[in-house]
Amino acid sequence: MRIDVVLRYVGLVMLFIAAFMLLSAGISYLSGMDSAFYPLLLSALLTALLGAFPQIFVEKKVQLSGKEGFGVVVGSWIVSCIVGMFPYLMWGGEFSLINAWFESVSGFTTTGATILNDIEVLPRGLLFWRMSTCWIGGMGVVMFALVILPSMGRSKMMLSNVEMSTLAKENFHYRTQMIVQILMVVYLGLTILSTLMFKVAGMNWFDALCHGMSSASTCGFSTKNASLAFYNSPLIEAVLVTTIIVAGIHFGLIYATVTGKRGNIFRSEVTRVYLGLIFVASLFVAISIYSAELYPTFGQAFRHAIFQVSSLITTSGFATADTNTWTSFAIIILIFVSMVCACSGSTTGGIKIDRLVLSAKMMKARMKQQRHPNAVIRIKLDGVIQENDTLHAVTVFVVAYMMLILLGSLIGALCGLDLMTAFSGAMACVGNVGPGFGEVGSMDNFAAIPAVMKGVDALLMLFGRLEIFGLIQFFFMKWWN
Amino acid sequence: MTGMRKRVTIAFSSIVCLLFLSGMLSLVELNRVSHGAGDILAASRRNVELAKEMLDAAHEQNVALIHLTVLGEEAYADDCRRAMGRLEQVLMTAREESFDPSFLDSLSFATIEMKVMVDRYLNRRTEAAAQSAEADSAAMAEVPVDSLGVDSLLMKAAVAAAEKNDEEDSVRWYTEEYEAVYLRLTAAVKAYMTSTQSSLAPRTEQMKRSAYRAVTPVLISLLVMIAVLLMFYYFMTIYCVNPIVKMNRALGDSLAYKVPFTIKEELKDELLELKEKIETLVTQSRHRS
Repeated sequence: MRIDVVLRYVGLVMLFIAAFMLLSAGISYLSGMDSAFYPLLLSALLTALLGAFPQIFVEKKVQLSGKEGFGVVVGSWIVSCIVGMFPYLMWGGEFSLINAWFESVSGFTTTGATILNDIEVLPRGLLFWRMSTCWIGGMGVVMFALVILPSMGRSKMMLSNVEMSTLAKENFHYRTQMIVQILMVVYLGLTILSTLMFKVAGMNWFDALCHGMSSASTCGFSTKNASLAFYNSPLIEAVLVTTIIVAGIHFGLIYATVTGKRGNIFRSEVTRVYLGLIFVASLFVAISIYSAELYPTFGQAFRHAIFQVSSLITTSGFATADTNTWTSFAIIILIFVSMVCACSGSTTGGIKIDRLVLSAKMMKARMKQQRHPNAVIRIKLDGVIQENDTLHAVTVFVVAYMMLILLGSLIGALCGLDLMTAFSGAMACVGNVGPGFGEVGSMDNFAAIPAVMKGVDALLMLFGRLEIFGLIQFFFMKWWN
Repeated sequence: MTGMRKRVTIAFSSIVCLLFLSGMLSLVELNRVSHGAGDILAASRRNVELAKEMLDAAHEQNVALIHLTVLGEEAYADDCRRAMGRLEQVLMTAREESFDPSFLDSLSFATIEMKVMVDRYLNRRTEAAAQSAEADSAAMAEVPVDSLGVDSLLMKAAVAAAEKNDEEDSVRWYTEEYEAVYLRLTAAVKAYMTSTQSSLAPRTEQMKRSAYRAVTPVLISLLVMIAVLLMFYYFMTIYCVNPIVKMNRALGDSLAYKVPFTIKEELKDELLELKEKIETLVTQSRHRS
């Protein structure tokens, strides 16, 4: 593997991140040169230098091998999270080393979990930087690398392999160059549209932009301590729910539908299951919390239920209610949707609906096979027959996902956390959801958990974002053939 | 970008720039911390000075009032007013220089209370003196000339008795009214001194935190510099050192064992030219031999 080539492309990503730091410094300057200006400017300079240095020596003529592409992807994520800490560390406040690392990883992996007890005390520049990390992460640092790397031919596909579900690629049916265009159009379009809608719904421009970036990337960072509950506005909640639900759908499908190449988005089996699951889960949760007399009317119960279900299934993690006070039945449903999450090909994390559908079909096929041992049973997804390799990968992924949650819970319990906090914290981090239950509930944060656990949770976020095996493989690249 | 010299120069310049930046950052941050510490010390010293001046002024006024009330020495009235003015002046300065003027509220109240009381007393005393002088001269004018000897003695005794009464009133005023206000004022000055000193504690704590913040940018710059230096070392190794070592080895092998001069590594810039020239030289020498 040519490390110099990997360094060059990781460097380009660093330059992109430096540009966003500079933009945040600009916002800081416009906000009356707040206390974040100096840390952001300095961080931008240092990150730009780090990124520019490899460009001096390595030229752009190269084609990347699969291994190198893999190195660029994982390297970019890790280095982005490291340089993302700089503004936080320099600004100080609640950001100790581990807190800054947690916040940076949480942003870049679009998890949206925070260690901040008081978000509103942050200056505007730093708030914008926080949102920038999740926006950059939402698109995927690597997708940016693809946009700014015009000379990479077939290796583009290799890059997207790591951070996007393999299933997503199957469904795209587009050429690799088109993928970048789709991602840009859908992602940028969704961000702009949601920003405008938030503004119309009553937010100020800054909050609207921040929430637009955060919701399009399904991150869940907010500029307010009480998250969306601060606004207590059904209209703002409606805009957010719409945005995050759309952001949880396969970007290729959205693009095809918007450009008229595909008449109806509901033709996709995965999308149908995804939207159906949101509705059914919301209904059950609403009935449960209404029956428990937590809300005076069913309408209010459904409003909060659909918000929380959408927020968790899309791995956003915004909150309008303290879900810790909800019924056990509602909490179990919320835990289920937090594990399943949304569709492949979106910015969401988790197991993903595609794998859930395939797992269900595999179970059905298994039962059928037991009844008819000689039958040749094919499993299809959206009319496409799935290869055994794909099905095997799905099974392995689901098992690995569960094992990772178990491991995270175990470490959490070792650190002295209660069962619910340890389990839901690990689940929320592996799935890049953000809030869990217990001490890390929708109205709480990760500030109180032990530093070791914060480090473990940050690692779990990276595992989740890189589809588990991406990060594991990175450490064994030397032995790749 | 082409040319090894150009690459190395740019890389080296960027390292130097980063070093310079780190150095400047250290200086700026150290300066800031040093200023912070200096400010706290200066504020502490100034606070003690002002409190001392206030106590001196209050004491001076107290002494003047004792002379005035107990000993009846009218000349001290001016000293009393002067001391009061000094106290007000110092208070105004303290208010201007204070980080938190709320600490001075109780002191200001005590000062105003004293000023009003002393002013009233002095005015009353002046008016009483004027009235008694007028009354004395009127009484003297009304007394018949033939009885002047006897009556003047009585008059003198009456005036002395009245003066004694005035003095007794003054002493009573001093002990019953003024003393309490004076004690309140001195207590307020002491409270001002201690409260301002205690307000320095959070500032010192803040400075401790900002010292951490001051070190962080420098530490991060140093870490980035280490990363850049490692990259520089890596690039120099793979683009300069390794190719030269390999060319040297290949040239040695070619000369010793007559094997072809081959370098598998991808070379660039002057090293590529060097390799090509060596290849040409080797080929030419083979042809000649």
